[in-house]
Amino acid sequence: MTTLTPPRREKKSQRKLLLYIPLLLATAFYLIPLYLMLNTGFKSFAEVDLQTMWRLPSGLHFDNFTAAFEQLAPALWNSIRLVIPAAFISSVLGSINGFVLARWKFRGADFIFPFLLFGMFIPYQSILIPLVEFMRDINLYGGVPGLVLTHVIYGIPITTLTFRNYYATVPNELVESARIDGAGLLETYWNILLPLSIPSFVVVLIWQFTSAWNDFLFAVVLTSPANWPITVALNNMAGSQIIEWNVQMAGAFIAALPTLLVYIFLGRYFLRGLLAGALKG
Amino acid sequence: MAEIRIENATKRFGDFVAVDKANLVIADKEFVVLLGPSGCGKTTLLRAVAGLGMADEGRITIGGRDVTYLPPRERKIAMVFQSYAIFPHMKVRDNIAFGLKMASVDPREIDKRVNNAAGLMHIEKLLDRYPSNMSGGQRQRVAVARAIAMQSEVLLMDEPLSNLDALLRLEMRAELKQLLAGIGATTIYVTHDQIEALSMGDRIAVMKDGLIQQVDHPTVVYDLPSNLFVGSFIGNPPMNFMRGQVQQNGALKVKIGDFELEPAERMKPLLKKYDGQQVILGIRAENMETLNHPVADGVKVQVRVVEPLGSQNLLTVKIGEDIIKVSTHPTFNVAPNNDVWLRFPADKIRWIDRDSEQVLYP
Amino acid sequence: MRFNKDRMLAVALVSPSILAVFIFVYGFIAWSGRVSLSEWVGLLPNYEWAGFSNYANLLQDPRFQIDIRNTVIFTVLFVGGSLLVGLGLAVLLDQGLRGESFFRSLFLFPMAISFIVTGVVWRWLMNPATGSRISGLNLLFDNLGLDFLISRWHTTPQWGIAAIAIPAIWQMSGYTMALYLGGLRAIPESIREAARVDGATELQIYRFQILPMLRPITLSAMIILGHISLKVFDLIVAMAGKQVALDVPAIYMWTTTFDGNFYNRGAAIGMMLLLSVAVLVIPYLWYTLRTEAKV
Repeated sequence: MTTLTPPRREKKSQRKLLLYIPLLLATAFYLIPLYLMLNTGFKSFAEVDLQTMWRLPSGLHFDNFTAAFEQLAPALWNSIRLVIPAAFISSVLGSINGFVLARWKFRGADFIFPFLLFGMFIPYQSILIPLVEFMRDINLYGGVPGLVLTHVIYGIPITTLTFRNYYATVPNELVESARIDGAGLLETYWNILLPLSIPSFVVVLIWQFTSAWNDFLFAVVLTSPANWPITVALNNMAGSQIIEWNVQMAGAFIAALPTLLVYIFLGRYFLRGLLAGALKG
Repeated sequence: MAEIRIENATKRFGDFVAVDKANLVIADKEFVVLLGPSGCGKTTLLRAVAGLGMADEGRITIGGRDVTYLPPRERKIAMVFQSYAIFPHMKVRDNIAFGLKMASVDPREIDKRVNNAAGLMHIEKLLDRYPSNMSGGQRQRVAVARAIAMQSEVLLMDEPLSNLDALLRLEMRAELKQLLAGIGATTIYVTHDQIEALSMGDRIAVMKDGLIQQVDHPTVVYDLPSNLFVGSFIGNPPMNFMRGQVQQNGALKVKIGDFELEPAERMKPLLKKYDGQQVILGIRAENMETLNHPVADGVKVQVRVVEPLGSQNLLTVKIGEDIIKVSTHPTFNVAPNNDVWLRFPADKIRWIDRDSEQVLYP
Repeated sequence: MRFNKDRMLAVALVSPSILAVFIFVYGFIAWSGRVSLSEWVGLLPNYEWAGFSNYANLLQDPRFQIDIRNTVIFTVLFVGGSLLVGLGLAVLLDQGLRGESFFRSLFLFPMAISFIVTGVVWRWLMNPATGSRISGLNLLFDNLGLDFLISRWHTTPQWGIAAIAIPAIWQMSGYTMALYLGGLRAIPESIREAARVDGATELQIYRFQILPMLRPITLSAMIILGHISLKVFDLIVAMAGKQVALDVPAIYMWTTTFDGNFYNRGAAIGMMLLLSVAVLVIPYLWYTLRTEAKV
């Protein structure tokens, strides 16, 4: 009698090992820019050379980071002044709007909704000229407050929709039960829906934080050099002939760090925000 | 005093009439069950009383106050929802206290009432827990505690037991009945479970297609249904229906197949009108007498199925063109294909007009 | 009388936001549209009627023709590349390999970074210098003996824009991976099992069951990436500044408006961009809203 060997076991694990080859290639592709930023950043000025850019630094030096930070500090501060109020105000507005749109059906809600949705997708080039004129008219051109206002307003569609989609999943009976117990509109929002939507708040805060931090178009058009946020300042640094590429790399890393940290520590919420943007959340 | 009066309440959703001119008066402290199949409008009517869906027409008063268009919070009611609607982010204690806080009740009084309600529902130990990992039965208790803590004179319950498993439901049914009798609130209780309705309600309002079919005490609704639907919806097994031909050759008789049956004296004047026409006879399974030997006033039928149910044996037999169920004593010895003889006590037969499907009463 | 305080309050709460969106989005679009039909050149507004001449001029403008060509090339490569890379990674990660969540996070992290940072780094990675000044990826290829891969990247005549698609794919393919992975996870195991019982190989299962089931995700991803692609701006600015060879409508709009003060032409470009995005997005939104309403 022939013995039956369990057939494909070995083959299967071999196949799995093979799958790591493309996976590791992809890993290299994604890590190379990060490697370059950090590797260059940690070199001393003396070791910086285009010829040896891939070689590891001799030790951890902070020359480049210090130089870049000195250059970018005002812009970093501008970005912080921009991002915190922008993210916070958009989230609060989005939460209130989303709550009302999800819970109180009123005439015209179905009409408003698609218009709000399309507002997420418009290319801002189509509103840029009026926006600049308007900001000049109300004397907010050139400064950070005008940029905050811009991010808040153009953030309304996405924040509203994220919250609306979340609130729509809260069972209706929960809201009705609160109404029976005597809670009015604001009390229902404050006592029931707001506490339930803390995770959505995190999602929206992160989303608005990231998009305001990473924005370039509004910033470059609406702010004067003294109020440039980090993206504009970094781009300007990269375009200049005087500043060395190694300092640019360190600067790029500094500019990326806040959103990277958010991604590392709150990645779950970050991903949810991303997927909500695809209208599938 | 919290009498609830529903007068000509109508609720439409587009062209669909969910509740059609409903009239119902619920006395102070009375327990009325709204019973009907799904989609009959019972929950819609309850929600109109709650203020969660305003009636399009008609009037609803609570304790003499017109509340038809008042928002829920101004109606002074408490409600238990089918899904319990427990706030997941609040501890049980805060869940129970929520309505009282909304009503700005004194904190010490809130504490007292929360503890009292929790005691009545035997959930004192759960008070400081979050609802997220509680069982269905525990959530159900929290939901009821929340409602009774309000000490409203009106209590509305929307299928509160339907999400529990069968055994728990049986247990909660008795407990709820006792509890509700104790707190003495005017109660409207919606269910699609006729046994729940029969066992709990002071009165039952049976609904179908948005219309209230009959409102009466459980025994009356069971014994004297107002129409074919009520008879067929209430009771397990439902009421049997047979077609019979009214014939007046001297004495008035009704022919069921070959069998001639003599109606009760008081029915005869009513049945005269149907001379030569068909009527429907309705009789409950337990109201027939079953014999295993021929009798003069009995009809011979062949047994098709025998279902021993412990407390009774349920026989399926064919009579005339109709299949009916007959309940017998569990010791009654019979096998499929045996012949048995059935006797119909005249006062237990309900007579139904074939076209209107209404039960005829003298 | 039915009077509902809550209803009034609800309307009062949302109306400022809705009003703001209508003014800042739709009002401003109308305003831009008006500028695009004007003679406004220079710093001072000039709404003298110009008809559609700005659009007509634009369509004959060689620079705008380059823009369109660049946008088409970039869109095809960027969208196609992101979809392929994203799908490939998602399928790989769906095989139950060890370290899946690490790889998933790794492929997604560029999404958190701005196009500007990406552009600054990749501008050095794609440094086209040769000989003694060789650096970046070219240097890496040289050291690894992969000389045939050495490229002039975005300075390649005619096709420089194609190189820009690489960092764009680097940035966005994690997003398509996440979308596809979500789709793969939503396919019940019973479907695969049923196909296996029916005798399909693993490859056939992907070919005949799984890929067709992922089609709606591909569509969504194409729309989202497509509209990003039409608006591409910061990445190119950060990598190459304002060069005609790598010009796209968004950059043209920016330079002609704010450097050249050709407000009328800038507005016309903005409107054309809006039109192209609308053609892409509106049918999709319409379809999504309709299916959402049915559920």
